[in-house]
Amino acid sequence: MQDGPALAVEDLWQVFGADAASVFKSVHAERASASATAEALKAKGLIPAVRGVSFDVAPGELFVVMGLSGSGKSTLIRSISRLVEPTSGRILLEGEDILAANTRRMTELRRSTIGMVFQHFGLFPHMTVIDNVAFPLKVGGMSRAERHAKARPILEMVGLTGRDDAYPRELSGGQRQRVGIARSLAGDCSVWFLDEPFSALDPLIRRQLQDEFLDIRKRLNTTIVFITHDIAEALKLADRIAIMRDGEIVQIGTPAEIVLKPVDDYVRDFARDVARGRHAKVGSVMRADTGGIGPDDPGLTPEMTLEDALASCMTLYEPVPVRDASGTLLGVVHPGDLAAALQADSA
Amino acid sequence: MTEATAPERSALPLTPGLTAALLTLLVGALCLLLQPYAPWLIAYPAGWTLPATEWVGGGLETILNTIKPTVRWFSWAISFPMSWANWVLAGAPWALVIGTITAIGWHLGGWRMALLGLVGFGFVLLSGYWRESMNTLSLVVVSVPLAMLLGGAIGLLANEVPRLRNPLQVALDAMQTVPTFAYLTPLLLLFGFGPVVGLVASAIYAAPPMARNVMLGLERVEPEVKEAGIMSGATRLQQLMLVEIPAAGRQIMVGVNQCLMAALSMVIIAAVIGGFDDIGWEVLLTMRKAQFGQALLAGLVIVTFAIVIDRMSARLALERERFDPRVSWALFGVGVATAAVLALTGTATPPDGIFAGAADAVDQTLGTFTAANGTALDAIKNGAMFYGLLPLRIGLDEAVLPFTWGFQWTQSMSLWLFAAGALAAMAATLTGRAMTGVHVLIGVGILETGVANLPWPFVLVAAAALAWSSVGPRFAVVTVLLLGTILVSGLWERALLSLYLSGSAVAACALVGGALGLLAAVSKPAWAILRPLCDMLQTIPLFVFLIPVLMFFQIGEFSAFLAICAYAIVPMIRYTREGLVTTPPEMLEAATASGATRAQIMWDVRLPYAAPTVLLGLNQTILYAFAMLVIAALIGTTGLGQSIYLALGQADVGLGVSAGAAMAILAFIADRLVQGFAEDRRRVLGLS
Ligand SMILES: Nc1ncnc2c1ncn2[C@@H]1O[C@H](COP(=O)(O)OP(=O)(O)OP(=O)(O)O)[C@@H](O)[C@H]1O
Ligand SMILES: [Mg+2]
Repeated sequence: MQDGPALAVEDLWQVFGADAASVFKSVHAERASASATAEALKAKGLIPAVRGVSFDVAPGELFVVMGLSGSGKSTLIRSISRLVEPTSGRILLEGEDILAANTRRMTELRRSTIGMVFQHFGLFPHMTVIDNVAFPLKVGGMSRAERHAKARPILEMVGLTGRDDAYPRELSGGQRQRVGIARSLAGDCSVWFLDEPFSALDPLIRRQLQDEFLDIRKRLNTTIVFITHDIAEALKLADRIAIMRDGEIVQIGTPAEIVLKPVDDYVRDFARDVARGRHAKVGSVMRADTGGIGPDDPGLTPEMTLEDALASCMTLYEPVPVRDASGTLLGVVHPGDLAAALQADSA
Repeated sequence: MTEATAPERSALPLTPGLTAALLTLLVGALCLLLQPYAPWLIAYPAGWTLPATEWVGGGLETILNTIKPTVRWFSWAISFPMSWANWVLAGAPWALVIGTITAIGWHLGGWRMALLGLVGFGFVLLSGYWRESMNTLSLVVVSVPLAMLLGGAIGLLANEVPRLRNPLQVALDAMQTVPTFAYLTPLLLLFGFGPVVGLVASAIYAAPPMARNVMLGLERVEPEVKEAGIMSGATRLQQLMLVEIPAAGRQIMVGVNQCLMAALSMVIIAAVIGGFDDIGWEVLLTMRKAQFGQALLAGLVIVTFAIVIDRMSARLALERERFDPRVSWALFGVGVATAAVLALTGTATPPDGIFAGAADAVDQTLGTFTAANGTALDAIKNGAMFYGLLPLRIGLDEAVLPFTWGFQWTQSMSLWLFAAGALAAMAATLTGRAMTGVHVLIGVGILETGVANLPWPFVLVAAAALAWSSVGPRFAVVTVLLLGTILVSGLWERALLSLYLSGSAVAACALVGGALGLLAAVSKPAWAILRPLCDMLQTIPLFVFLIPVLMFFQIGEFSAFLAICAYAIVPMIRYTREGLVTTPPEMLEAATASGATRAQIMWDVRLPYAAPTVLLGLNQTILYAFAMLVIAALIGTTGLGQSIYLALGQADVGLGVSAGAAMAILAFIADRLVQGFAEDRRRVLGLS
């Protein structure tokens, strides 16, 4: 495989409304910024649902897109997978410009490269569990025995054994989404889109499925674009998070960056209810100069969460050293910084 | 002209609705006043008409003759499956057919459906109409797949090409509002006499419900399910065949059920063409010979067919239970074995009817009954005619004669009537209900003149006014244009006659059906009785309604009126009840808590809330009445229905199609008007 990003999105626009493409072209040419274009489009009665979005996803990365309802997350993922035709922009999937792909090539890509999981599962009501899962193989022309043989281990992996012949209506919500996940994996996809896969489930089941999802992810090592409106879910799962507002991405960063260095109030609002200590790492408040280290060494490492670090420095007031696994000194942390970082949002 | 000035004198705000009503009133009054000097205001002069029917006829005949060779070829091709189906069904031993139906019944719905099949077809066998029934069934068996293909193709096309959606919808609407007989005339010209006409007519007639349900079903497949199909890498064809159509299965099966019923209904109606020894023909024949016992028996066979087919195919659209297929095979086996035994013992021919005695008895009883109660029956009929229908038709001024009413209607009586109307209108206006006042006056005017003698400018203005206040100015223009077409094509008089008969039937249905619906809403036992009755009436093919009314009231307008009412009353009952029982409970509780009595709740809460639903019921009733109006032409009506029927007899395409189109226009306008008012009510209630 090539070394570049698994998925690269460049200046993607999705505008809804009559004659969107040509109006967009004329409007966009005259204006400098994305927001100016968006305003002009809205003035003409069009809906700019995705506005000049760009980002890269590295191979094997879990990229989470987060935003309030109506911010354009689903539209973004739907235009990337070409369920709706993007108005403008470029999408490179493993180096291939998929907006240039014809219908046949798209079908091929969907069978072999792209997998997708839907918020309300999108299961075929008239098919049994195993037929649902084996459907991508069926349309690819695989024989019945073969595709069932291939679907069974996948069902096992998502924790659904023995329900092969059940119909979707006979399953609980959590079980249905397991089927949805299994189906999206049947084609051995290397890029995996999930649109709020756990939002329709109750909290307990959601947490359980998140854990299982991380497990599956470890095993398969696919590139993932995951959509959610739940900050806790985003922080728990993500390698990087993109925050969307009104069709634009306002910030892209690691969970710690999002929590500790929100670029504006919109992002800060998301992080408000989050126990920051659990997501930010010691590394984010560490200082490089090693002067003034106190006598105590509570054994901090850069990967430690702030919460744990603070717990072990409760009684200390002087800077403490941070070392890696082999004991090499990397920097220092002032216990005051730890407390300040945890309280930053209440300011 | 006190009546016209009275409402204007008050300082009430002139709403658009009131303006329209006043304008209508003014035109009506002017027409009445000017009538002695300008008779053309009442009767549209023949000299002003265009020979539209001839043009239509000429044009159509040219077209039809051009495509005739192709069509004849099609007719030739289709005659093969038809004769095969006929050969199989009519040729197969009856035991085998009954065994198969019972087995299918078991497969679809367990012992209930198996029993229904067995008893139903057993009755058909014993009625002595086995051969005729199988002829009918073989037509249905061939026409339904055709209709399903045609309807499915239209539905898919509309689904795949969104731009075609609206035009196709309009075409489907038209296919269903054009009266049934009107189909037959051009087909007759194309295919010549014979069963193929019935076959093709029923395939065309039964296609729209299929198409509609396919469209609806595909549209209702959850978007995520469709997208999951796409994202699984299915081609468009695979998406359709493997995902969307199966996922829409239930709705499509509803379409199959409606398609079957429509096909059966049309196959039976097509019997009027004759030339095929089917059960519909049998009904017609016995009816013409006044053998009502036999006609009733044949009618019952049709009803049995309809019920068996309807109930069994309705199971297709339900959640399917799985029934042991071995039982199906066993039932089928029993059929085969019985057939074999009968064949070996040489008794395989279907038995003669065992109900012939019963039919005769019915005839005799009927004879004695009508002999004994003839005066009473005549009194009912004449009463309804002289004091109800006739005044509506030709107005009090002509209908009130010494011979019937005991006195002669005079000029001064007219004046008194108008004066009374004006007083009532004035009273209504002074108490703030100017609209009611104007309506009263218009009503009085119509009563005096009679629907069939209404001045045409008045009808045009009134229709436009209604269209304006119900839908909007554009529809008012459309209405005037469409009605104008009828006017200049010389079908106006007949259209008014049709309007009068269906109008009085609809009015009767609205009153009686509304009352029954009310009763059904407040009393559970009443609904328990009415509900199966409604189900039954809706399953019966139109034709059969004619038999009982003929038995008691002979041929004539009153019988037609009754038949129309019997068929068209069902939606009124159903929708009225539906509207009343679906009032949200919290509204009722709030009313009760405010101290309203039951009657007050009914009047002030439930009825207003039910109004939109009741209006939709009325809309259905109107469409049903128009559908039946044409069938009722068989037993003596005047108007468009009669023209269509006559055109069929004379193979006059121009007249048949024009009259059919005129009827469709009336139905279309009525439909939109009532829908518009219903929509209005819904908006007022915040329901849409
Ligand atoms: N097909 C469409 N036509 C017109 N507007 C659309 C269409 N699809 C989406 N939109 C609009 O685009 C905007 C973004 O919608 P989108 O569904 O992408 O939001 P979302 O972030 O996924 O929200 P949610 O969390 O509720 O799923 C909304 O304003 C929506 O109304
Ligand atoms: Mg969404």
